[in-house]
Amino acid sequence: MADLGDDANMSLEERHAFMTERLQQRNDIRKSEIQRKKEDKEAPKREKCEHFHESLNREIEEIERELALSSSRTKEELIDHFDGITVRLQKSQKFLSESTLFLPSYDISRANDSLTKLQNILQEKRSEFLPKKKFAFKSRKGTDDGKDKKSKKVESGDMDLSTVDLADCKIINEVNKKLSMQPEEINQKDVALAELKSCVVKLYGAPSAIHINKLEDCQIFCGPVSGSIFIRECANCVFVLSCQQLRIHTTKFTNFYIHVTSKAIIEDTSEVKFAPYNWSYPLIEEHYKLSGLEKKRNNWSDVDDFNWLAADEHSPNWSILGLKERILMWDV
Amino acid sequence: MGLLTILKKMKQKEKEVRLLMLGLDNAGKTTILKKFNGEDIDTISPTLGFNIKTLEHRGFKLNVWDVGGQRSLRSYWRNYFESTDGLIWVVDSADRMRIQDCKQELHSLLLEERLAGSTLLVFANKQDLPGSLSSEDIKKMLDLDNIKSHHWRILPCSAVTGEHLLEGIDWTIDDIASRIFTMD
Repeated sequence: MADLGDDANMSLEERHAFMTERLQQRNDIRKSEIQRKKEDKEAPKREKCEHFHESLNREIEEIERELALSSSRTKEELIDHFDGITVRLQKSQKFLSESTLFLPSYDISRANDSLTKLQNILQEKRSEFLPKKKFAFKSRKGTDDGKDKKSKKVESGDMDLSTVDLADCKIINEVNKKLSMQPEEINQKDVALAELKSCVVKLYGAPSAIHINKLEDCQIFCGPVSGSIFIRECANCVFVLSCQQLRIHTTKFTNFYIHVTSKAIIEDTSEVKFAPYNWSYPLIEEHYKLSGLEKKRNNWSDVDDFNWLAADEHSPNWSILGLKERILMWDV
Repeated sequence: MGLLTILKKMKQKEKEVRLLMLGLDNAGKTTILKKFNGEDIDTISPTLGFNIKTLEHRGFKLNVWDVGGQRSLRSYWRNYFESTDGLIWVVDSADRMRIQDCKQELHSLLLEERLAGSTLLVFANKQDLPGSLSSEDIKKMLDLDNIKSHHWRILPCSAVTGEHLLEGIDWTIDDIASRIFTMD
């Protein structure tokens, strides 16, 4: 009753203060309870960690000691000796994997490292003192060798396939020659030129496409090509070409006199120069009509370098052939 | 209702198909895409980067990705693999010198996990050229018969004349549809 009386006598402010204090007290008790529980939980965890490190290190030390003793064992003892160590190592590994639940990941990886190290040392010692029987080694090596040979054979077989049967319209493997092809041979056909050295080739016609591969010190002339011309691995050449698309790959020190209605591109190519197409022969107008190439549209000076994507700076791999360097008249 | 069913339903609602068109440079990928879409093919430059076209065909929305085939661009192909329904591999049938390159690139592509299960259409393009290999030859040279991981088909075609383009796309859509969409 006194309490009640007190209560009743208290002002509103006093009651408010009383209530806040009580709430505060309860909160403090709750917090300390949580803290205590937390510590309870962590304590065994810490203990477990310490226990783990102690026992693992002890085990590792013992294994190391055993390994060091290997040299003093006789041959008969060695097998059992190494088997014993292997079992111990496996047990440690198992112990580690069982302990991963409570271990921090740094400790796990460190323990793992030291166990792997031991495993390697064991392997070394074992092969040092107990070399594997020779035939096992040999047979393995033998099969590997066989495989290698086989795969090489397959590869070389593939190579033959790709180079041998080129299309009908082709000039391949010539040195020091002046060659030409006439309209009736090449008009609206696809032409292949490959592996030529110091040759002059004139194609008087309008092929649909040309593939050019591995040319050196050559001069190549061609009438209007309705499709694309594809050039690979050429050096020190002069190309005088007219086409819809021109792709130049892995080519060096070469000059191009071109008529391209789309855009020429270069890739893995350097030291190449470009000038406008300036070859002519009696039937060329007719062949332009046949090819459908627009004679007025020529983007010869607009070249995309696939190895140079910076737009604000000119590619160092190609340039425009200076007026004075250009050859103005070709033999027909 | 399983997750797969939900995915199927979502796809079916949109009827959207993603096609990825790859192949060596100069195979005619962009020309096929433009021809199929009825655009001018005389002014196409080699693709530096990629083209995307969204086409409506037979009530399907086709998102076609045409990625440049130059050697320097091939390492970027994998950026386009994600959620591909159909792969269109384009071959320059007249490029006999690089048919081995072509085979290697194709087979390494098929090992790609993100393309697993996608439909594979091989276009033996440039059949308008007299010296081109037949689709039967290309099938052998690319060792297509050994592909067990994908539904595949090879078709001879010409992007210039338009021959068999439609047939190829139709087959691809049918194959994808039978996989993803419950047919109406």
